[in-house]
Amino acid sequence: MKPTLLMALLVAGFSWPVSADTRYDLRVDGLACPYCAYGIEKKLKALDGVDGDTLAIRLNEGLVSFTVRGDATITEPVLKQLINDAGFTLRGLETQDIVKPEQKND
Amino acid sequence: MPVFAALFLTLPCLVWVTRVSAHDPVFGAGPHVLFKGGVEVHLGSRYEKAGDERDSEAELELKYGITGDWTAGIGLSYLRSEDDEDTDTGRGPSSLSTKYRFWRNDMLGAQESAAVLAGVILDDANVGEPKRDGSDYLMGLAYGYEGRKWYRWASVRHRFNEDADSGAERPNLWLLDFVLGIRPTPTEYLEPDWVWMLELNGEIVDKVSNQVGDTSMRIGGSQWFLSPGLMWTHRNLAIKAGVQLPIYDDLAANQASGDYRVKLEAEWHF
Repeated sequence: MKPTLLMALLVAGFSWPVSADTRYDLRVDGLACPYCAYGIEKKLKALDGVDGDTLAIRLNEGLVSFTVRGDATITEPVLKQLINDAGFTLRGLETQDIVKPEQKND
Repeated sequence: MPVFAALFLTLPCLVWVTRVSAHDPVFGAGPHVLFKGGVEVHLGSRYEKAGDERDSEAELELKYGITGDWTAGIGLSYLRSEDDEDTDTGRGPSSLSTKYRFWRNDMLGAQESAAVLAGVILDDANVGEPKRDGSDYLMGLAYGYEGRKWYRWASVRHRFNEDADSGAERPNLWLLDFVLGIRPTPTEYLEPDWVWMLELNGEIVDKVSNQVGDTSMRIGGSQWFLSPGLMWTHRNLAIKAGVQLPIYDDLAANQASGDYRVKLEAEWHF
């Protein structure tokens, strides 16, 4: 067995992906004032799986970003309705898996 | 309360229950509504001086976001009316209000919208205005543009006033508002935010004559105010303040025109 392949197998044996959080980037139109954006914060934080600590609302760019933990998913129609209920319009959605490797300690 | 005094008090009290809220102007109306399921607690105080008359009001209003475009609320107030000879304090009229945003145009960093609003001003006050035959009603239309830097609003409201129990006619009232606002620094979410406003507020009261004994009394007329104001917000807390300064009046007979009005409000969204 080649040394590089052996090394790869050893690394794989000691670490593997244990969670695949998902980062959501929402392009939201109508975001003009910070006070009005509070409705988005409240509604997103009430969703199962949303990590409230990761929520970021960037008014100047019209972007709302947050991370959803583990296997939880939020569909685009749900987000569209949520943003509309908050008084704004969802124009675009991008998601990206965030793989967090965890080291095996034994 | 003598009929004459009751009539005299009618004019200033016509404009009390015209509460506005959220990211709207201080004195004028705007199309802003609450998010669905949201609750707004609104505390406000006003002070008005017109000649020897001094009126102040403390108010509490609770609102609820029925949908993302439809809000309803209930308001309670406490009034104090005084002049050099007399002071009256007590409960002001309670009100029920609703606003429906029927049009919204969302853009990157800006929102343009329009709403209809309606309200009922109940006949349950025990101070500040003559006893009426029933409730007063308020209808209005508001337009607003909110950008990251510039704001503009325009609104028209009409208040249908019920006549007094004594038979005296309480004239209806038009309210017209034109407002410009600016956010000097486009702050981000969770940063304290300032918006400065300059309002032009018009109050046009139908001119009517009421017979008091052998004397015919004319009331009504128009007043226009220039009103600088500001709005400070931080996350879900807003504080608004403004002063109305009269710039023109055309009042019937010898009614006292307003010297100034001051308003201070605080709001929380939950």
